[in-house]
Amino acid sequence: MADKRKRRRPADDSDSESDSKLPFKSKLKPDSTILQTLKTLKDSATAAASSSSTKPLTLSDLNLSTACREVTDLSLSSVQSSIESLILSFAHSILAGNGFSFSVPSRSSANQLYVPELDRIVLKDKTAVRPFANVSTVRKATVTTRILQLIHQLCLKSIHVTKRDLFYTDVKLFQDQTQSDAVLDDVSCILGCTRSSLNVVAAEKGVVVGRLIFSDNGDMIDCTKMGMGGKAIPPNIDRVGDMQSDALFILLVEKDAAYMRLAEDRFYNRFPCIIVTAKGQPDVATRLFMRKMKTELKLPVIALVDSDPYGLKILSVYGCGSKNMSYDSANLTTPDIKWLGIRPSDLDKYKIPEQCRLPMTEQDIKTGKDLLEEDFVKKNPGWVEELSLMVKSKQKAEIQALSSFGFQYLTEVYLPLKLQQKDWL
Amino acid sequence: MDTEGSNSPAETKKAKSKTPRKPKSAHVLKQKSPAEFFADNKNIAGFDNPGKSLYTTVRELVENSLDSAESISELPVVEITIEDIGKSKFNSMIGLADHERVDEELYDDFESAKAREKRLAKEARHQEIQAKNASVGKKVKGPMATKPTKSREASYYRVTCKDNGRGMPHDDIPNMFGRVLSGTKYGLKQTRGKFGLGAKMALIWSKMSTGLPIEISSSMKSQNYTSFCRLDIDIHRNIPHIHVHEKRENMDIWHGAEIQIVIEGNWTTYRSKILHYMRQMAVITPYAQFLFKFLSDTPEKNVTVRFARRTDIMPPIPVETKYHPSAVDLLLIKRLIAETSKQNLFQFLQHEFVNVGKSYAERLIGEMGPDFSPKMPVKSLTAQQIVRIHQLFRQAKFDDPSGNCLSPAGEYNLRLGIIKELHPDMVATYSGSAQVFEGHPFIVEAGVSVGGKDVKQGLNIFRFANRIPLLFEQGADVVTRTAIKRINWNNYKINQTQDKIGVFVSIVSTKIPFKGTGKEYIGDDISEIASAVKTAIQQCCAQLKSKIVKRIQAREQQERKRSLNKYIPNATGAIYDMLKDMSQSRASKKKRYEDKDVDLLNQVSAHLVTKQTLKEKLTQHVEQVDYEMALEYATQTGVKEEPREDVYIPPLEAGVNWVGLSRPSTAWCSPTSLRVVLGCIDNGFVWPTGLEAGMCDAKIWQA
Repeated sequence: MADKRKRRRPADDSDSESDSKLPFKSKLKPDSTILQTLKTLKDSATAAASSSSTKPLTLSDLNLSTACREVTDLSLSSVQSSIESLILSFAHSILAGNGFSFSVPSRSSANQLYVPELDRIVLKDKTAVRPFANVSTVRKATVTTRILQLIHQLCLKSIHVTKRDLFYTDVKLFQDQTQSDAVLDDVSCILGCTRSSLNVVAAEKGVVVGRLIFSDNGDMIDCTKMGMGGKAIPPNIDRVGDMQSDALFILLVEKDAAYMRLAEDRFYNRFPCIIVTAKGQPDVATRLFMRKMKTELKLPVIALVDSDPYGLKILSVYGCGSKNMSYDSANLTTPDIKWLGIRPSDLDKYKIPEQCRLPMTEQDIKTGKDLLEEDFVKKNPGWVEELSLMVKSKQKAEIQALSSFGFQYLTEVYLPLKLQQKDWL
Repeated sequence: MDTEGSNSPAETKKAKSKTPRKPKSAHVLKQKSPAEFFADNKNIAGFDNPGKSLYTTVRELVENSLDSAESISELPVVEITIEDIGKSKFNSMIGLADHERVDEELYDDFESAKAREKRLAKEARHQEIQAKNASVGKKVKGPMATKPTKSREASYYRVTCKDNGRGMPHDDIPNMFGRVLSGTKYGLKQTRGKFGLGAKMALIWSKMSTGLPIEISSSMKSQNYTSFCRLDIDIHRNIPHIHVHEKRENMDIWHGAEIQIVIEGNWTTYRSKILHYMRQMAVITPYAQFLFKFLSDTPEKNVTVRFARRTDIMPPIPVETKYHPSAVDLLLIKRLIAETSKQNLFQFLQHEFVNVGKSYAERLIGEMGPDFSPKMPVKSLTAQQIVRIHQLFRQAKFDDPSGNCLSPAGEYNLRLGIIKELHPDMVATYSGSAQVFEGHPFIVEAGVSVGGKDVKQGLNIFRFANRIPLLFEQGADVVTRTAIKRINWNNYKINQTQDKIGVFVSIVSTKIPFKGTGKEYIGDDISEIASAVKTAIQQCCAQLKSKIVKRIQAREQQERKRSLNKYIPNATGAIYDMLKDMSQSRASKKKRYEDKDVDLLNQVSAHLVTKQTLKEKLTQHVEQVDYEMALEYATQTGVKEEPREDVYIPPLEAGVNWVGLSRPSTAWCSPTSLRVVLGCIDNGFVWPTGLEAGMCDAKIWQA
């Protein structure tokens, strides 16, 4: 009976006797205490945000020794005019008998730089020439020209298309979508604008649920009333606005399965929060949305990812940006994400049984060791410790490993206890 | 026929099966002769089933012949014949009358009325489909291969192997064949044989399957007679059972051995394995000449393959060596002590092991403890003392054994063999230096070829251990695993799935660490060998890479203009469309442009500049760039003409017999026919080609 009652009212007190079978359940204090700790967390985050917002640090403030490249949001007309001037110069060059050549900023990992002051990756200023009259670059030069033409058309008509749409306009030339996608990022770099300014979006991937109200293209969306699945994060961020929330924190979840558990148990009603997942590696839209929430609502962000190198990698993409899109890291990164779990040290702390832990493959261990060399990990001693522990123990576990104590262990015990103990890094 | 053959396997079995019924004799301690042991466990010697037995018989005989010829530094000529013996012929050989089947249903392959109905219905259906396909005009496949009704009747083969080797001393012949685990190859040296069973196991198999004796004729160089011997083996007592043993006249001054044996086999299923074996053997021993024949009653099934000799350079004979201290065990030390002629411990250490010098022997004895002294008689060592010596051998540091006792095929021979059998477009070989695994030296040689005829796409792996091909259990082998998993072929501009890659790895050692019961592969767990194999293959690939890159450059040179031109319409089309859009929007929206841009856009709207103009201009530019690059390429590569050496034609024998270029089939007993080797030294590689009988189109391999 007790179980039944609990499911109906998950926010109810949790010290009933029947729950003692869940390990560590007894350690939980009443929700009000936990809420209090969360409030202080929120207040400190708000304070930090307001103090830093007085002087937001940008690349130009730092006077770095190496020149760096960053892109900005450009209006449609300025994108159009920069494409046009580029094309006109090409036309002149061709008519003069000199062919044409792009100068493309290199996005290779050698051209990336982690800036600790900004806590994100930025692109250095190395560029590669992409002449038409060279066997190795002729294809890419042609594809780039073609993509420019397609974007020029989008500008003229001021509409949005998806990356897939773009690919299908000339399948024969592009051959596969990875090629047209890569050139699209090149074009962003050439023109010096964000990818969203090109009016090309990716398909919806991320979802959000919880204490958030925002307007999508003029419609007000209440994310507490979106059912279990939540609201899909809109692919173009420029139509999102008017964010309001009474949440105390944002919970970032790596996996769809854990997200579903949290949404179904209405975790956000027990502890007011906004739950976001991008189902694995985050896409541009989710990252933009995260950043927008963080800056507008000034909420702390805590993350729930798998205890494996990829979980940390996903965390780093939210936090410091991906190498592929580092030219736009200023708009895509959400600073100061707390790593709540599942951390390698939790495996023993929460006595996760052996059968739920997986041995790390050689590839996993290599990825882990490589991560230990990355600057964004090194800057946080707690992360280094956890990652070293993972590489040493050679064990990994998914969020679902907690289900060995019952499917609702995550929402009933693990998360509340973690929050109560302020157990984040 | 041998009537005394009361010890045939069938009867042995019978006798055994009876024993449990007699409780008295059930616990009598029995002893097995070595021959009996191998008869019971014939699978470990490669006699798993009739097919494999035929294969193993062939390889044992061929390998014996090669060893024999090499031991007297004679270029080997081996002729092997497999003759299909029909059932009635076999019966008449053993003196058994043919029996007609009386009770048909007694037999396993009897087709019941129901089964026949089923088969006929299936055939009818198949014919229908065929007819339908034919009427539609589809390509008609050949008539369905009707599976031969599986008969369990055994097939019998006479295997004959004739060589030009050393031959055998007349009196030793019976023991050399009729006694298992007695042999000439038991010293520590690189040998082809795997168990030292050789032809004896074939003899046991023939005894088990046909009961017919083996026939041996042999003659040694100095003898004026040939020995002829017909014998079989007494499996229980492990002694030969001689039928005939006599000296005959040596008509054509031949030396060597000819062995004839009748066994049960299966040519149909092991045909390709046997032919592969012969082909790979020809690769690794290009200095030998093989003639392989398969004869049967149906002429279309007959096979005759001649693997001609391509070089007269033979690798040196492997020499017997002494043990390395780190490679011996307790038993071996005891045996060495028992066999040694040395008196005291000091001399024993110094002379019975490699890499133990005078001073080192003294230091070792000093380290052994107070119980030991250099002058103590070696035969008086106690068991405990021997254990102490063994311990020290394990712990002390010794120099690695040298590879001098090994006889690798040699890069030259390996290369020749690959070229001869595969005709690749490119080949590279590498010979590593000697390395050591558990006190045994080993040498890894590798060859990598690209292209060729009869080579399938992807990796083709050829493995050799002590210069014999390994055909079975390829998957777990160190060579296979290294080539597939640890070589990044892309690095060398080789496409692992598209290119026809031949990987040849030959490992020679005084002890090959075989795995598996049949000793058919070398395990992947020995890091020394694995890394040596990897390095050898990588070295070959690195050699190939420069050639491949050159070839790619040349191809790029030819195709540059074409691949550039291919993209002109796409690029100019996109640019022109944008220009047109701009000129239109300029008219409507009055956007501002710079002066020269305005001119250009005006020209576009006036159709003075069209898609065609852009195309022409870009084509001009491409042509100019192409011309410049061609010029550059020519200045870089054009002058590099490699010096060529003169063609080298060595006469094989002083008295050249100009009877004609066609070689008589008996060439192997009178090797006087003409052989010409053309060598063309190019890029430091020697690529000779042979002059085939009657054909004078010597091909020169191109770099």
